[in-house]
Amino acid sequence: MLDLLNTALIGPLRDMGGSPAFLVEVIIGGLAAGLMYSLVALGFVLIYKASGVFNFAQGVMVLFAALTLVGLMERGAPLALALLATALVMGALAFAIERVVLRPLVNQEQIILFMATIGLNFFLEGLGELAWGSNVKRLDVGIPDTSFMVWGVQINRLELTAAITAAVMVAVIAVFFQRTRIGRALRAVADDHEAALSIGIPLNTIWIVVWAAAGLVSIVAGIMWGAKSGVQFSLSLIALKALPVLILGGFTSVPGAIVGGLIIGVGEKIGEVYWGPLVGGAIENWFAYVLALAFLLVRPQGLFGEKIIERV
Amino acid sequence: MNAGPTPLLEVDEVSVRFGAVQALEGVSLEIGRGEIVAIIGPNGAGKTTLLNVVSGFYHPSEGHIRFEGRDRTHLRPYDVAALGVARTFQNVALFKGMSVLDNIMTGRLLKMRGSFLLEALHWGPARRQELLHREFVERIIDFLEIESIRKAPAGKLPYGLQKRVELARALAAEPKLLLLDEPMAGMNVEEKEDMCRFILGVNDEFGTTIALIEHDMSVVMDISHRVIALDYGRKIADGTPDEVRADQAVIDAYLGVAHA
Repeated sequence: MLDLLNTALIGPLRDMGGSPAFLVEVIIGGLAAGLMYSLVALGFVLIYKASGVFNFAQGVMVLFAALTLVGLMERGAPLALALLATALVMGALAFAIERVVLRPLVNQEQIILFMATIGLNFFLEGLGELAWGSNVKRLDVGIPDTSFMVWGVQINRLELTAAITAAVMVAVIAVFFQRTRIGRALRAVADDHEAALSIGIPLNTIWIVVWAAAGLVSIVAGIMWGAKSGVQFSLSLIALKALPVLILGGFTSVPGAIVGGLIIGVGEKIGEVYWGPLVGGAIENWFAYVLALAFLLVRPQGLFGEKIIERV
Repeated sequence: MNAGPTPLLEVDEVSVRFGAVQALEGVSLEIGRGEIVAIIGPNGAGKTTLLNVVSGFYHPSEGHIRFEGRDRTHLRPYDVAALGVARTFQNVALFKGMSVLDNIMTGRLLKMRGSFLLEALHWGPARRQELLHREFVERIIDFLEIESIRKAPAGKLPYGLQKRVELARALAAEPKLLLLDEPMAGMNVEEKEDMCRFILGVNDEFGTTIALIEHDMSVVMDISHRVIALDYGRKIADGTPDEVRADQAVIDAYLGVAHA
């Protein structure tokens, strides 16, 4: 018994304490990975808040954005121009989704809208492959994937840039939501569709805005992920990791998406590095889901979600 | 009873069907500028459907709706709101997560103009505009006597106050026509008296035309200039409170005489 305690708890903790610089590196690595989950989750939250649609296609939107960007750059477009064009494509996509998918299905059950986004998922995957091909592409945004040392801790330039970009974007989104007229309208729509309509908020416009915003978030997530591990179709699978992030953070909370992503990123990295050897590794693959499961049992509304009160 | 040459709102032979259910059948009515009109009728008479048709939430299967003399039959809710029609809901539709002040500010959304960038930075004209709207909203808050709950989250308030905040949000849009769906449902006597006072005050001070659905007959008789009674989707009476109270069809509808 004492033996078990020693290997399962004290051992890993002693390892952490033994090399604090390494621990910090592990945490930073976890934060960087978590940030990616956060960004995908953020796209989910934006859409879910404003339209109540659970967008299964969020992961593919990340892939699609990255594919479009890389595809344009392969054809000789400079980075800035390719970025602009990709942003326009994502905007057009938002417009098309509102017209073709959301508008005809307005007032339908949530499950029907959810099914529609599964369809959208496959459509975008096919369209991406058709337009840009299915081979793995290298995305070079001009930031070297190298490290520098601060107080004995290795920091990766690419990860640092990604973190700063994500932080700026989250700040911009937060200010936009809190301060502007459209932000206020978005919060109103998220809260009550009927009431929002009655005070003159055009739902359709708001939907285009949030899907476009989710598209822009996808571009940033796609660039980061793509620059790290190449643009490939497995990219859309990271969307699955966004689900536990959402359960952890709450489906309707922007800060929840960020914090949830970071917790899962750090948690799975620490688990993998320090406890992985004990169970033969691969903790990274299931840690997020087990944590989400625990949350579902204890706090189903997530860390920041509104408390679910059911009137009976 | 209609003030002016064209009434503010004209409902002309409007029918609404949901599948096999005939919610409204050939209803015609007019509401003149400055009037307070009560719409009464037993449960399921089609009162809320009528309100929903006027505010663009439903579209009539037949008939026309004119607002200020122009055909508005097929407008959507937000277009109707932009024309100057505000409403409240039977089951209070507030933005529960937002503060009372923010809720009322959303009522001003249609009145706001300007650049998002400036708004985000809280700077220049955007800041002045925000302050101007804030001032107007504060006046409404004063008027409805809800200063003390200004910062409270709307969802946490007692029901009577929520109804008052909903009225405040509707007033913030400076509507020409205010539609109230059971503004006094679930209130105690004191709250009802307050609400009556506010409705009369709105009509008096801002000259707002008001159409309200209400079940409490003493309230209806007290505050309305005119009463319209519906039963089974048809209009069965339209006149002064005293006329409608004495109307045999209305009495039958409420006492449940078998329909021939």
